Amino acid sequence: MSDDRQPGPAGVDRTDEPDIDRGLVEAWAARMISNPERAYRAAFYVATGFFLVTTLFPFFWLLIVAITPRGDLSDIGVFTPGGTPRAEVTIPLLEWTLAVPTGVPADVNAAAFFEIFDPNVVPFHWYIFNSFLIATVATVVVLFVASLAGYVFGRLEFRGRNPLLLLVLVTSFFPPAAFFVPLNRMFNANLEVLKPLLQDGSLYNTPYAIFIPLSALYLPLSIFILMTFYAQIPEGLEDAARVEGTTRLGALFRVIVPLSAPGVATAGVLTFITVYNEYFFSSLMTDKQFQNWAPMLAGLLKFQGQYQVLYDLMAAASIVAVLPVTILVIVAQEKIVSGLTAGAVKE
Amino acid sequence: MTTDHDTDTRLLMRPLNWLETQSEAVFAYVLLAPAFLLLGVVALYPLVRTFQFSLLADQVSAPAPLGGVVGLDNYADLLTGRALLSQQFVDPTFETPLLQQALFVTVAFAVLSVLFETLLGFGQALVLDQDFRGRRWVRVAIIIPYAIPIVIQAMIFFLIFNPTIGFGTEFMQSIGAFGSNPLASSSDSFLIVLVADIWKTSAFMALLILAGLQSVDRGLYDVAKVSGASAWQQFKYITLPLVAPALLVAMLFRTMDAMRIYGLIDATAGCQTVPSLSCLVITSVFGTRRWATASAVAFLTAVVIGLLVAVYLFTLRNREVGMT
Repeated sequence: MSDDRQPGPAGVDRTDEPDIDRGLVEAWAARMISNPERAYRAAFYVATGFFLVTTLFPFFWLLIVAITPRGDLSDIGVFTPGGTPRAEVTIPLLEWTLAVPTGVPADVNAAAFFEIFDPNVVPFHWYIFNSFLIATVATVVVLFVASLAGYVFGRLEFRGRNPLLLLVLVTSFFPPAAFFVPLNRMFNANLEVLKPLLQDGSLYNTPYAIFIPLSALYLPLSIFILMTFYAQIPEGLEDAARVEGTTRLGALFRVIVPLSAPGVATAGVLTFITVYNEYFFSSLMTDKQFQNWAPMLAGLLKFQGQYQVLYDLMAAASIVAVLPVTILVIVAQEKIVSGLTAGAVKE
Repeated sequence: MTTDHDTDTRLLMRPLNWLETQSEAVFAYVLLAPAFLLLGVVALYPLVRTFQFSLLADQVSAPAPLGGVVGLDNYADLLTGRALLSQQFVDPTFETPLLQQALFVTVAFAVLSVLFETLLGFGQALVLDQDFRGRRWVRVAIIIPYAIPIVIQAMIFFLIFNPTIGFGTEFMQSIGAFGSNPLASSSDSFLIVLVADIWKTSAFMALLILAGLQSVDRGLYDVAKVSGASAWQQFKYITLPLVAPALLVAMLFRTMDAMRIYGLIDATAGCQTVPSLSCLVITSVFGTRRWATASAVAFLTAVVIGLLVAVYLFTLRNREVGMT
């Protein structure tokens, strides 16, 4: 497919000019001019390197902060942890001074990665647990509800299909702030109905206050993804299942959903990641205590707010909290890519 | 035991069997009920209530935060700058009305972030569109920022631009761009938030543009090459026009998302320093207990986003009409 766009090394060599006696830079420039393909290759490598460095460097630097001992925090360099022996080197002509590392830092350690779980500081593992629970429940709810809706929109013809689909689309346009004031009031109200289930009858400080709004807000994306997948299952398979004696719902969950497994996985992975990553409702619907189901972000902000100078703990907690999604991205990158593009293209 | 089990199953089967006998339309509505119940409770009903609240009076010190009906007064106060909201300092003289500040911050953020994300995302997409060894891993590396939690993205840039430990402040000061404490200054913080957002979301643009790039017929490039088109001409006359629809959709999504900016600001500089529209809603509710004004701001935000979507959709439609 792309062979014709990238001539092999043999092709490049043949178009090279014979070796005239030139300076290094001049020779390189001459080769670029005589063979533009080569210039494009060079540009490609430069661009790739640039994007790799800009996207990954912040994580590397976070690690540097996390392993720096607390006393050396103000000494952290761009590439080296605090406490590294450095020597000032002045670059001639430019008059810039650079601190070049001259040795290995002595005291770097991973203590911060243990201290973040200290119950006397911030029990970060409980916050992570809350986040996992909320994200898992939201994913299950979204997958079930979106499966029903995706089946209807993808496979059934009925009056009002297009207006209803438009309504789903429109709700995903609005900012969460547009729903916040009434929802906040609703979730803080003490409802008699809920008294037997919840202590004071209000949803504030319960996982419901986070996963109900989030399930609804991320429902449209899953509906659009599942709709496309369910629509592709041949009519005959569903009919065959019906002839075998299953109900229409049985056919949906026994035939269509299993056959659309990649689509369901895509919707599931995306919902899990977006709920885990969400900020708005996650930060506003609890009082940020882990006993009250506050998610991961509340724990992380505790390091930032209460303990102003524990930068190493902030960095360590960030690395721990980012690991689950990073692993998900590495394992399921095809699904994430196809899901994001399918969702957007549909709409 | 077995009979118990049988009655259980029969009880369960009864609604399912009833469903079997209904027409396709009824079946469809029943299956859609949970989805619309959820959307109704969380989105549609609150949206209507937000509008209702915005027509009521603020009661800052009374037990109930919402008073009697005042009609469109809240909107009038907001738009003329009479609304009493927590003071901000984008404009140090305090003369610019708050809504205008928030509107300016939000729109400026949306325009600048979408612009840079589109450019960088296009670059990333062009790189990912090539075939090379390790392409899978480069793609993972480029997507990862998009998948990380907002609070961690905020934490990273909070640390980088922290004057004590980060290198960002020192660097920006050395080129004369930043003051002494950037996270307390509105314009410096705005830049930090902008950079953080571009770092995270360029990947989203890249993925959508990449989908557009891969749908381009490769044969067109062969024809162009035979006709002697340069790489730039190929990009300008083949790639760009064919990717434009995907690009517009991606920009639409990003713009809507950028207009909602809240978490990144809240966790880095704080809503007082960089007041976006969503920030204004939250500070009015929790800071000054002006629920009605907050509702008016929230509804205005929704209207602004709605208008933007309309403009985009209109453009897209015109393009499609023009092409066929």
